[in-house]
Amino acid sequence: MEPGNTSEQRDLFRGALEIMILRSLRRQPMHGYALVQHIRRQSNELLLVEEGSLYPALQRLLKKKFLTADWQISPTGRKVRTYQITRSGVLHLEREVSLFNRMLKGIALVLAPAKS
Amino acid sequence: MRWLTNLFSRQETYADLSQEIQQHLEEKIEELMAGGMAPQQAEQQAKRDFGNVALLEESAREAWARPAFDSIWADVCYAGRQMKRSPGFAIMAIATLATGIAASAAMFTVVDRVLLRPLPYERAGQLVQIKEAGKNGPSMFGAPYLDIEQWRERSQTLAEIAFHTYDKPTSFLEGNSGPVQVNTPRVSTNLFETLGVRPAIGRGFDSSDSSGQKGGAKTAVLSDTVWRDGFGEDPNILGRVIRLNGESYAVVGVMPRGFQFPFNPEKPQIWTAIQLGDTDKERAKNAAQEYTIIARLKEGVTMEAAQAELRVIQNEVAKQYTDAHARENVMSVELLSYADTVVEGGVRNALWALLGAAGVLWLIACLNVTSLLLARAATRQREIAVRAALGASRWRIIRQLFVEGLVLSLTASLLGIGLVFAALRIFERELSLQFRIHVGMAPNSALVLCLLGLTLLSAVISSVWPALVAARASIDPALRQGGARSGGGRHQHRGRGLLVVSQMAMSLALLVACGLLLRTLFALRHVSLGFKSDHVIVADMVIPAYRFDGRNMTRELYQPLVERVEHLSGVEAASLTTGVPLGKRFPILLTFATDENDPASVRVEDLVTQFRAVGPGLQRVFGFRMLSGRFFNEGDTASSQPVIVVNRAFARAYFGKNQGLDKAVGQQLLSYDKEKLAEIVGVVDEERQSSVIEPSQPEVEVCIPQITPKTGFYRVAEGLAMNLAVRTDRNPISFIPEFRRALTSASPELAGSTFTTMDQVVEDSFGDQRMAARLLQIFAGAALLLCVAGLYGLLAYLVSQRTQEFGVRIALGARRGQVITLVIRQAGWILLAGSAIGLALSFFLKRLLASFLYGVQARDALTLSAAVLLLLGTGLAAAYIPARRAASVDPMQALRAE
Repeated sequence: MEPGNTSEQRDLFRGALEIMILRSLRRQPMHGYALVQHIRRQSNELLLVEEGSLYPALQRLLKKKFLTADWQISPTGRKVRTYQITRSGVLHLEREVSLFNRMLKGIALVLAPAKS
Repeated sequence: MRWLTNLFSRQETYADLSQEIQQHLEEKIEELMAGGMAPQQAEQQAKRDFGNVALLEESAREAWARPAFDSIWADVCYAGRQMKRSPGFAIMAIATLATGIAASAAMFTVVDRVLLRPLPYERAGQLVQIKEAGKNGPSMFGAPYLDIEQWRERSQTLAEIAFHTYDKPTSFLEGNSGPVQVNTPRVSTNLFETLGVRPAIGRGFDSSDSSGQKGGAKTAVLSDTVWRDGFGEDPNILGRVIRLNGESYAVVGVMPRGFQFPFNPEKPQIWTAIQLGDTDKERAKNAAQEYTIIARLKEGVTMEAAQAELRVIQNEVAKQYTDAHARENVMSVELLSYADTVVEGGVRNALWALLGAAGVLWLIACLNVTSLLLARAATRQREIAVRAALGASRWRIIRQLFVEGLVLSLTASLLGIGLVFAALRIFERELSLQFRIHVGMAPNSALVLCLLGLTLLSAVISSVWPALVAARASIDPALRQGGARSGGGRHQHRGRGLLVVSQMAMSLALLVACGLLLRTLFALRHVSLGFKSDHVIVADMVIPAYRFDGRNMTRELYQPLVERVEHLSGVEAASLTTGVPLGKRFPILLTFATDENDPASVRVEDLVTQFRAVGPGLQRVFGFRMLSGRFFNEGDTASSQPVIVVNRAFARAYFGKNQGLDKAVGQQLLSYDKEKLAEIVGVVDEERQSSVIEPSQPEVEVCIPQITPKTGFYRVAEGLAMNLAVRTDRNPISFIPEFRRALTSASPELAGSTFTTMDQVVEDSFGDQRMAARLLQIFAGAALLLCVAGLYGLLAYLVSQRTQEFGVRIALGARRGQVITLVIRQAGWILLAGSAIGLALSFFLKRLLASFLYGVQARDALTLSAAVLLLLGTGLAAAYIPARRAASVDPMQALRAE
């Protein structure tokens, strides 16, 4: 496997994971564990990722100021770090989703003639 | 500064992250256990699902990392550890750099405040001073209004011409708590416009202020300082009537903060408008009021063009002078940039020269550290080789060594800031005396910039070369050799030798400069002053003379005062005088007018004479020598024959070189009042008046007891500051409290008088030279120390490198003396080369120092040889220590170490 290849694949994946995180948090603020559960449920357990890989993505989003994080007490009485999406996070999400859709459409168009 | 806060908040972020991951795992375990799983199994399952905790945490942290910054920061930390590991080296390098940086930064502060400070005027580069000039060069006096008027009408190159004058050095502003001393320049109404500065409050002057119409109130504009301190920032100041010297003025404006004119005054300023009068309708000398002129060039006009035009105009103007002799003195004009008139040329050159000297010291310090770092790079060869072997690029190694240099110079700069302020404190008196600048502790952006620049440059000069040498060294031999100490090679020794030679050369130049200044000071202290300065104390009294309007100050204030002081114990003589020799005196100049045109009359017309009013006791106080006739005595009173005393220079200039002295006594000259001419009763020997360097100027002295309010020069002589000089047989300093009490009881207003011993006055008059000498002593001393330390360091290093060789030599029968000679010879070459180049350098000093030297040639053989001997002597002494060590090498041990 060539080194360039792995990084591309990871980038694509990272981007997808980040979009999912932002999308989930847009619905409601959550902490890390809840986020994992949420994404798993939403994807009908199709997307099975290592739970831990969520954290580097969360840190990157924090750094870009798309998220904010606060220590809170969860309804179950647990001290959890709750993430909340920011305004620029919402804008970023919208931009990314539309890009993603365009890309999907593009791929579909390219693939369509081959299928027929 | 965000990166700095990031740096600290990062630790917190990482802690949050760890805690969060822990919470995640715990929550997962709890959930799995709730689902019926055994605790141990649940934990394993949770960890499996999570992934590699350490790896993921690391990867999450990476989101915050800035690779370039982090690795430089690591270099900085490493440099810190290096310094801690060899504190001796670090202290040496830092102290050396701090000395150089502090000297340069302190000198820069002075230069910045004195030479680079911007004048508080709009486009100050366009402002010029105009002086009339003639066969005797530029006039010492100003120009009459009639001439200014002509220039204003005809000039096409000047946008505005303004003028101003001083009547007295000190005026009194009456305030609630007694009179306050102020400067009151009288200015033309367009002055502020010419300078391009508008008053912060009010309109300033307009043409109605100068019309001089009878009944029109006089007007004044306050400086910001006076407005704040004298009137508590009164917002309704406009129109308020203030009392200056007993006269009323209406305030028509307040100038913005920082505005001053003339620049750098001794006291807060209040400007009053010049009202043109009868004296402005004349050109005749002694009848016309003369003004100093400041003009603004039109946009795009050069000073040369304006001067050329004004010279043509002046040619016409001069024709209107009826007196042929006077005409010859005003045939032309000279233009000077106003900025150049603010600081004397001599002082300007001297300051640049001293800044240069400080720069040389700094360079020596940097080179010294270069040499230290070269030696250090040699001992660290193995470490560097290991780094390179592990994959560090050359650039990476250079960067690391440069960062180390930067950390050293940064630490040195921080230390340097403290030294700068200490130095400015030490020189506080000189600074305020010479330049009237007070350097506070306030951080100054120019100083900060200067320090930053010095820090960076120091690091570049001192560490780039050693870093290049270290990075270029081949890895293989360094790794293969066992010891950490492997020779740096001939090449590098020669490099260090060259560094030491250049340090020697620069130090020698500084030593020569210092020697010349010290000889100048010595010569100055041995100039025959023409008076005795020991045991004399001078009170500088500033008396609000307007209080005595209509009364006789001489009889009511001065005479009783002198008598009271004369009766204090220990007083041998006391006298009033309008100025003490070498003191700061407001020059009063006399000129004579004659009707004749013979050579003698022309000579008299050209004569400009110092004028002084003194008491009869002055000769006893200062011990002036009488050349002929007598000094004033108790018999000279207002009712007796008016008499004057002249000095030798006057007698010669007035009566001719050959017969002056004999002819002078008995001649009649000058009148106290309109009726009687005064008679010259004596000629005193010359004394140094304004500077030890300058020969005596012609001088006329009048007798204070003979002056009455009717006397023509009563106001001139007595409205001014008056000095009371006392000769005592006690220590003059211990006499001050008693002296002050006597003055205060005579008039409470005299409580503010200042007291100085005459010795101090003389010492202060050496100001320029003394400051330069003290600075150069410090610079040259530090430079000598540094370069000798550099020489010692190099030799000690070489000797340690050659230990085995010396051991072999001694084992083969070399005597100890021969080994010592071997090392000394090496030092000798360096010293000789350094001295030769240094001597060549010091020939350039002449141009820089010429204006500062007195009584000594710039190529003074004694100074040059003394400096060379000092350098050679200390150099050889420093070389002797490693030479001894080389000679005492035990051959057995040296050979066994092989």
